[in-house]
Amino acid sequence: MAKNKADLLQGTLDMLILRALSLGELHGYGVIQRIRQLSDEMLNVEQGSLYPALYRIEQKGWVSARWDVHDTGREAKFYKLTRTGRKQLETEEASWDRLVLAIAKVRQAT
Amino acid sequence: MKWVNIIRDRLRALRQRETVINEIDREMRSHVELQVEANIRAGMSPREAREHAMRTFGNVNRAVDAAYDVKGGGFFETLLQDIRYGARMLAKHRAFTIIAVITLALGIGANTAIFSVVNELLLRPLPFRDADRIVMLWEVNPEGRHQNSASRANYRAWRAQTSSYQYLAAFSYQRYNLTGNGEPEELSVQFATPDLFKVLGVDPLLGRTFLPDDDGDGKPPVAVLSYALWQRRFGGQPSIVGQPITLNGVKYTVIGVMPSNFQFHMKQRSGTGRPPDLWSILPMPLDSNERGRFLATVARLKDGVTVEHADAELRTIAARLADEFPQFNKNFSAEVLPLREQFFGNVRRPLWLMLGAVGFVLLIACANVANLLLSLATTREKEIAVRAALGARRGRIVRQLLTESILLALFGSVLGLFFAWLGIKALVAISPRDLVSLQTVGLNVTVLLWTLGVSLLTGIIFGLAPAFHISRLNLNDSLKEGGKSEAGQATGSRRLRNALVVSEIALAVVLLASAGLLIRSFIRLQQVDRGFQTDNILTMVVRLPESYKEDPQVIGFFSQALEKVRQLPTVRSAGIVNFLPLYGGMGSSTGFKILGQPEPPPGEGPGCDVRVVDADYFPTMGIPLLRGRNFSRAELREPKHVILINEALARTYFSGTEPIGQRLDVLMFDTPQPAEIIGVVGNVRYDSLIDESPPAVYFPHPDLTYSFMTLVIRTDGDPTAIAPAVQREIRTLDPNQPVSDVRTMNQVMSEWVSRSRFNTLLLGLFAGLATLLSAVGIFGVMNYSVALRTREIGLRLAVGAQPRQVLLLVLRQGLLLTIVGVVLGLAAAFALTRLLASLLFGIGAVDTTTFTTISILLVIVSLLACYLPARRAMRIDPLRALRYE
Repeated sequence: MAKNKADLLQGTLDMLILRALSLGELHGYGVIQRIRQLSDEMLNVEQGSLYPALYRIEQKGWVSARWDVHDTGREAKFYKLTRTGRKQLETEEASWDRLVLAIAKVRQAT
Repeated sequence: MKWVNIIRDRLRALRQRETVINEIDREMRSHVELQVEANIRAGMSPREAREHAMRTFGNVNRAVDAAYDVKGGGFFETLLQDIRYGARMLAKHRAFTIIAVITLALGIGANTAIFSVVNELLLRPLPFRDADRIVMLWEVNPEGRHQNSASRANYRAWRAQTSSYQYLAAFSYQRYNLTGNGEPEELSVQFATPDLFKVLGVDPLLGRTFLPDDDGDGKPPVAVLSYALWQRRFGGQPSIVGQPITLNGVKYTVIGVMPSNFQFHMKQRSGTGRPPDLWSILPMPLDSNERGRFLATVARLKDGVTVEHADAELRTIAARLADEFPQFNKNFSAEVLPLREQFFGNVRRPLWLMLGAVGFVLLIACANVANLLLSLATTREKEIAVRAALGARRGRIVRQLLTESILLALFGSVLGLFFAWLGIKALVAISPRDLVSLQTVGLNVTVLLWTLGVSLLTGIIFGLAPAFHISRLNLNDSLKEGGKSEAGQATGSRRLRNALVVSEIALAVVLLASAGLLIRSFIRLQQVDRGFQTDNILTMVVRLPESYKEDPQVIGFFSQALEKVRQLPTVRSAGIVNFLPLYGGMGSSTGFKILGQPEPPPGEGPGCDVRVVDADYFPTMGIPLLRGRNFSRAELREPKHVILINEALARTYFSGTEPIGQRLDVLMFDTPQPAEIIGVVGNVRYDSLIDESPPAVYFPHPDLTYSFMTLVIRTDGDPTAIAPAVQREIRTLDPNQPVSDVRTMNQVMSEWVSRSRFNTLLLGLFAGLATLLSAVGIFGVMNYSVALRTREIGLRLAVGAQPRQVLLLVLRQGLLLTIVGVVLGLAAAFALTRLLASLLFGIGAVDTTTFTTISILLVIVSLLACYLPARRAMRIDPLRALRYE
């Protein structure tokens, strides 16, 4: 059961991260915060899922990372969407939309 | 475990783990700090803020680990862990490890040794610039004999009419005497047209090679020295360039020296097999010998021209030449052959076969080790079950077991390389003399890469089956059984083991069948009626220089030499012949006419081999005189126009009539010179032991005077002992006269069969190895099966079974496996041994006697291998066995 939940999260989590980064360069903490903001506090990504996902995405070349100084004067690792990452986001959102549409149709039918 | 430390230290040194983990750690900490700041901004006290941040974050270490795994750092760690663990396993099961490593080393070593030869002869580029652009051009004679020499006239026509070649050169071998500056020495000289070195694309070490006008009239002849000759005779002095040397009494100017690795040599054409000592320009006069075929032709293709195109072009030209000059070229064709094909075409098939054979040996070794691993695995069932119970996934367990087997294979390959090194030395030592370039075979990078690849593959092949088998074990059963399994429970593993043994035996049958066929045909080759004797005969070549201008001088020299040799102690008889039997196919053949019979159209008359001898040649070689008489003393002093013929000629052209007294015109002379047949002698296989002797005529030396002749001397006892005395006698006749190729007739013979012996020896060795390994395999399986069935056998004995019945029970099981293996192997052998057909002599590729013999042999061997376990089973103490659980 726990496994199903993780699977479901993984695909969508990647998309959420990419979406969060599409609005600008962010560090890990910032990604969590932005997803929370954008979802009206409804989605709370745990750091334990976030970082493995971020690293996987980085390995795939969808984001690039660099260390920089945060505006509070503290250093942090910043992630930025690459061009392939942007394309990937489009693909994932498109397929997500199709899925939602399909599910909605199925639900309306009943 | 020193090497484990080394590997660990290496990986540490890479600092991979620390760097990666530090970075992740740093990122996590920065995350926490950002959270703390946010909390403070939200109004918490610093302490409260930190506590809250830490709580939300959870376990930092676990987070770091999870992230680290994603980063791929875990791969090496797991590998390292597995290697360390595997090494410990191997160290624990020492007997298993030693047997497995030796088995693998034999397989890998044999593979590496044979591959290094394949690589050297078939894969590595030849040592010429763009060697794949170099081709040989040959005529094909009317009997379809390939690689026939070209005549000067035809070579000229090729040169003028072809457009496929950048450069074209002709060459032929001669042997010239080098005098002055020490002992006289007979040199092997390659006479070539000036473009030879351009064709080959090789530069001299010193000086220059030929220029187009080097063969201009009136210029002193030039010579290019081989590195070996330069070192041997001229002490490696660079000042030799420009100096004169004396060859056959004529002064040549040295213009260059070739590098030491340069070798362009065709053993079959050189007469002695010796590589050239020097090169000079081939004179191409337009004289009566224009149509004699003695040239080899080598050429460099123009860019973009394919071998096929060149071949088609040459054939067209040859067809045109046959139409234009039917008296010389009728039914002659021509062909183009890539240089590699020329050098190694005849060894390619045997070599690939050998590589296939050692591949089989390696497969058997793999099956053996897989079996050992399976047996070992059963004792490890509990360990594996515990790992699985603790949450190890199947893939993880397979991976760990595979790491172990690859580790084993790598150990095997290290020892295997040592075996290969020994093997290569042995191969070079026993290789036929004409595989000249085998001398440079060694362990190079390509070979090492091949070995590494082979051992990784080996590790996977023999490790995969056991690994999957074990990983599929039923967890509960294994834990409950406490690691002791009953025979019935391990059905899957038993089946797998039996299958492995059956395939081992089948592979061994294929190898044994092939080796058996080669051995039988080798024996036939030795037993063939070759028509001459070989024991107690010494042979040596004497080549008189051009200073012996007149025939009587030459005839006189040889008859005097023979007289002196016959006086020596232990010499029974001594004779001369122009070309010995089995002497690299050297000899002349020509057409003849029988006087009084209608003349056939040109090019279609009968042909015969021509040899020049004296009377004592026949008794010395043990060739029987069948009819008529031998040459008289008078006929050996001056031309009397008499000949002897062989039985084949008598039978083919005089069947039913009396040949003696008939007259033949053998077309060896500018004008017809009929000679009377005075006798018939036995057939001799001159060219090869395989082919029947063609018709042949023998001229006495005065009728057809050659200035190079081979002495044959029959002695009492060891013929080599007389060699120095003979050489001394020759030198008293002419102090400047060297002799060469001092060999016994047995050596000549043994060299001729050397390639066949080489193949037989190698394949026999591999088959023996295969048999041994499969015997070990079946022993292992039976031994293990007896161990598993201890309780059952004990029970049988307890309820009254006789020990003999137990013995038979085990033997029967082994025999069944063997018979299945033999049947499968024979089926494969029927299909595969036809690949050997071209290497066989006197027997077919499917030979019932051979196949039956090797089947019986294998059955006996495996029964022997089963006997020890069977005896052990027989001696099981029922009481002990029953208490065993």
